[in-house]
Amino acid sequence: MIPVADIVFYLLAAVLVIAALRVVTTRNPVHSALFLVLTFFTAAGLFVLLRAEFLAAILVMVYMGAVAVLFLFVVMMLDVDFAELRRGALSHLPVGLAVGGVILVELIIVALAQHSAGPVTEPAVAVPNTLAIGRVLYTTYLLPFEIASLVLLVAMIGAIVLTLRKRPDVRKQVISHQLARTRDQAVELKKVASGEGA
Amino acid sequence: MLENYFPVLVLLAIAFGLGIVILAASYLAGIKRPNAVKRSQYECGFDPLTRIRLQFDVRYYLLAILFVVFDIEAAFLFPWAVAFRDIGFLGFVEMMLFLFILLVGYAYAWKKGALEWE
Repeated sequence: MIPVADIVFYLLAAVLVIAALRVVTTRNPVHSALFLVLTFFTAAGLFVLLRAEFLAAILVMVYMGAVAVLFLFVVMMLDVDFAELRRGALSHLPVGLAVGGVILVELIIVALAQHSAGPVTEPAVAVPNTLAIGRVLYTTYLLPFEIASLVLLVAMIGAIVLTLRKRPDVRKQVISHQLARTRDQAVELKKVASGEGA
Repeated sequence: MLENYFPVLVLLAIAFGLGIVILAASYLAGIKRPNAVKRSQYECGFDPLTRIRLQFDVRYYLLAILFVVFDIEAAFLFPWAVAFRDIGFLGFVEMMLFLFILLVGYAYAWKKGALEWE
């Protein structure tokens, strides 16, 4: 019996790591965003292997369908010259190394705290994953859930305030104006004497 | 359970393989005689006047942001609906509050005309 699930796991994991590395190493920002999409997709595959189909679907729909598209929009809108930005980046190397080192130490501590990672393709919870999320999200994590809605509200209003510009010169169809128009406003009748109209 | 996803795996493998076959076949079998004119950007007749990267209008970004927000709102509804019997009346009230807060944003967007395309 070939362990198909394990093979798929290692395949997806390898693609994920390579794609994630390419996100930060590629020179073209558009390619970078597309590698990010690949990273999300392979991560969704890993979720499916853990029987977390809901998370996989969310990753595909929200992250790939919306967030990655947003990144692409930003890249296309700003037209940033990344070669220009990278110039002088070496001077920030000490700070970057310090932050990266701290994160690395944290990751090692978390990895050591786990007794074992367990089988890579076994279900993480016994009940269906959507049900498991629903049971804790709306009871234990009630407050973060409600705060999430406020964060979304801030994001929405902020985006509208920052980007919405009315164009004064745009002609638009306003149906109520059209319907409110009466015969008197639209038609003018002139009585022209016979033979004098020219 | 995981066996149900085997067709998806097969589909992915076929799609990936087909993509590689098509690219490789055209790379190997195609005739490549590039010259400066062939490799330039396409503009009808004259030399390119601008860079090929066009800047998007910022309003696409606004639409995308609004899409993300309502996408996430809809995503939160799924586990709520599945776990509805377990979380009781409190869960119902919570979700109504969640929806109300986002409804405020929706009303704001509507009132401001952010959903209209000029």
